[in-house]
Amino acid sequence: MASWPPVSDRALIGKSIKRLDGPAKTQGTAKYAYDVSRPGMLYGRLLGSPHPHARIRSIDISAAQKAPGVRAALALIDPAAGEAAKVRYQGEEVAAVAAVTEEAAEDAVRLIKVDYEVLPHLATIEQSMRPEAPVVFPKGNVTPASERTEGNVDEGLAKAAHIVEGVYSTQVQTHTSLETHGGVCEWTGDKLTAWVSTQAVHSARDGIAKALGVPQADVRVLADYMGGGFGSKLGFDRQVVVCARLAKAAGAAVKLMLSRKEEHLVTGNRPSAFARVKAGTDASGKLVVFDAETWGTGGAGQGAGFSVPYPVYFFPNWRQRHRDVYINAGPQRAFRAPGHPQASFVTETVMDELADRLRIDPLELRMRNLRPPDASGADPANRQWRKYFPMAAEKIGWSKRHPTGDATPGPLKRGLGCAANIWAGAGNPKTLASCEILPDGSVTMRIGTQDIGTGTRTLVAMITAETMGLPLESVQAAIGDTNHPFAPGSGGSVTVGSVSPTVRVAAEGARNALFAKVAPALGVEPTALQAKAGRVSVTAEPAKGMSWRDACKLLGTEPINFQGNWEKGLSDVGTSGVQFADVEVDIETGITRVKKIVCVQDAGMIVDRLTAESQCIGGIIMGLGFALYEHRILDRNTAQMVNPNMEFYLLPGMSDIPEIDVTLVDQPERGVVGLGEPPTISTAAAVANAVTNAIGVRVRSLPVTPQAILSALEQERAGGTL
Amino acid sequence: MPSKKKSEPGFSRRTFLKTVGAGGVAAGVIGPPATAEAQAGALGPGPVPVQLNVNGRVHKLELEPRVTLLDAIRNRLNLTGVKRVCDRGSCGACTMIADGRTIYSCSVLAIDMQGKAIRTVESFTSGTVLHPVQQAFCEKDGLMCGFCTPGFVTSAVALLERNPKPTPEQARKALDGNICRCGTYVRVLEAALAPRAASGARGQREVPEGSAGGATERERAGVGPREQLREAVRRG
Repeated sequence: MASWPPVSDRALIGKSIKRLDGPAKTQGTAKYAYDVSRPGMLYGRLLGSPHPHARIRSIDISAAQKAPGVRAALALIDPAAGEAAKVRYQGEEVAAVAAVTEEAAEDAVRLIKVDYEVLPHLATIEQSMRPEAPVVFPKGNVTPASERTEGNVDEGLAKAAHIVEGVYSTQVQTHTSLETHGGVCEWTGDKLTAWVSTQAVHSARDGIAKALGVPQADVRVLADYMGGGFGSKLGFDRQVVVCARLAKAAGAAVKLMLSRKEEHLVTGNRPSAFARVKAGTDASGKLVVFDAETWGTGGAGQGAGFSVPYPVYFFPNWRQRHRDVYINAGPQRAFRAPGHPQASFVTETVMDELADRLRIDPLELRMRNLRPPDASGADPANRQWRKYFPMAAEKIGWSKRHPTGDATPGPLKRGLGCAANIWAGAGNPKTLASCEILPDGSVTMRIGTQDIGTGTRTLVAMITAETMGLPLESVQAAIGDTNHPFAPGSGGSVTVGSVSPTVRVAAEGARNALFAKVAPALGVEPTALQAKAGRVSVTAEPAKGMSWRDACKLLGTEPINFQGNWEKGLSDVGTSGVQFADVEVDIETGITRVKKIVCVQDAGMIVDRLTAESQCIGGIIMGLGFALYEHRILDRNTAQMVNPNMEFYLLPGMSDIPEIDVTLVDQPERGVVGLGEPPTISTAAAVANAVTNAIGVRVRSLPVTPQAILSALEQERAGGTL
Repeated sequence: MPSKKKSEPGFSRRTFLKTVGAGGVAAGVIGPPATAEAQAGALGPGPVPVQLNVNGRVHKLELEPRVTLLDAIRNRLNLTGVKRVCDRGSCGACTMIADGRTIYSCSVLAIDMQGKAIRTVESFTSGTVLHPVQQAFCEKDGLMCGFCTPGFVTSAVALLERNPKPTPEQARKALDGNICRCGTYVRVLEAALAPRAASGARGQREVPEGSAGGATERERAGVGPREQLREAVRRG
């Protein structure tokens, strides 16, 4: 069984280590799929439907084919294909061309003539749910309610001394990865090489092979670098398949990267969430009931599930009845902690409202109602809110929190809010890695994972170097290639828990094979050896040994190649954390400025402290976007996206960034734990609660725009509904 | 920029052009002879000769006049450090330096940039030694997926060339035209300020606190472009 070295004995693991690819990324020499250039390469462009719902009567690509510089043109929809001849959202792919320049491809796309029979469309949830709405989707516009429940909600409601009721909602958020989806495809005979902007090289390979009807062994997917995905690049992507078909038809390599507009329209989003909630406590402030009617839209034909109450607090009686609503908009995809920020916002807002109803401190209400400890009487290692809430409260100065509504005169109101998160990302037991030691001392770790910006490449090298007792620079981490052993897609915060144990096992195996070669030369058993500080030596007598290079020379001409399988015991499942927000709201302009976010997050056994902290900071900043700025806006008449760009789809910028205070709770005994998603879950809920604490009026909908704040205040002044 | 009289020493044709500040004139005067006749009418739509001075090397290209500087440099010169992200001047991933000022290269035409000294992220390293800004980005972890990084590095280099000791507020404003989706801002700011601390002893000109120093227009306005934009959006 593999194990981690003792904490006191770690040269790299747990330290702050700079990314290995920092120099390549800062110099602009890192090659992303978007940057790949092949000899004779053509440029592909897609034609997307301008209509949100239409039947394709015909597609005429003949003029495009004859246009200057065009080498291939494809109709992507067969008008005779019945239901499959319909497009169900703006931007859905209809045709494609490849030409010698991007400009020529752009021109040629305009020459494609498509005869659309425009069909009635649904642009909003309300339109879709109307009884008289045209049925646009094969299974109906709204799914039947699915129910989850525990305890007895009716009894709970009868028993509750205090009840709050409200409708809470969150918006559709697009991933807005900076590198758009797409890739470069090049055929050599029957073999396809695809440079893809992906979070999952192996599943991209499988998807492309299936769609093209070619053997998986004939497709090689490469992703040396990729410019962000956040869940939207986990599946196989249609545009890469189109790119491969164009390349085949043209007999040349083709690059097809989506435009920014296409990226917003067709590559996924976080579905909207609506919840009509009735929740109550007993007279002493013990939660008794949570009853929710929920719905949301993941666009055309995709679900929009999220689970409330969010499982941080204990409601003995709860029920959720959920319906998915379909509209004519781009389908949802996994988005960093799918369902969690929505569920967290709904639940944490309700918690604050209950606290106000009880006239107690919302933190106090939370502490009284956390999920109970397990049978041993202790909170499990991955559910430590009882410890983290007071830590973060101390850091933000919670003791100075005023009751809801800042009574300070003047337009600037300050407020504090908090929220918690939970996430379960386990390692994938099927992960493989292969470690090679060459006779000249070179070490290469090959693993078919990918670095989506989290620092996976650095982590692979760190664990390998740690195991071999070598400096980081003297090992190679080879990733982002389907020719390397299988590793899962980078989603669900599983990467670190899959990759780290497997790399450790492979490195230990290779190192032990080297020990077996060296032991006779030193006259000891292989188990008596250690690899440390660039030497292989006898553990009990470190002076007795040789340099790493000399040890490897003993291999003669035969390198070591050891394949490692994932092992249990080196990683753990799940993490928990809390976030607190301090905000300032100008009640004249409605503008919210977040002053400070405090984050306390369980990080398990930290591999690279520097990148782990960056992950938390990044998650928080994405959470700020969800809280205050980001919103996919569809025109309610045309179902066209109004802001498919980066000008009016607002992301946080440098001036929006508050002070961010991250405390990583290092629990080395737990093994490694995924950290990609949890830090983005609770930011929006904490910010929204802080806004309410500042302005004294409940904010029940995201994003908390100036307009939302001003109208909430207006409603309150007018006698309101609250 | 203070305009220099012709009699003053140091006058050059480039200074004249910069002072006039008209890209069209630049194209006409410095551009290859073929553009002279076209100057009377419209250029293109077919390819025309375009000469670009990129990272100290002059490149003679045949480009359609509609080709942006970004696309010319990425697709024709294969300098792919600068990225295409929003393609309409709102994210800064394509930031280059032209005659000392940062530009969004996705939003200028290559043909209009003739005669200007264009610098891309590829030009900052001397030999194998990283520029102090690049070094600081690596050390502070001012990057994650890295797709915005070249733009941020370029903006930070340009800032420090104009103002070697920016205050955090000046640095924030200078970098406000760049967008990062991974959320590296905190550490990007630290990285942009780190070379300032390191170079503090060099005795370069000081810029008083509160002044934007050799500021760009957006800095002089006192508000970052995104703030301005956001306010405009909010006001409807």
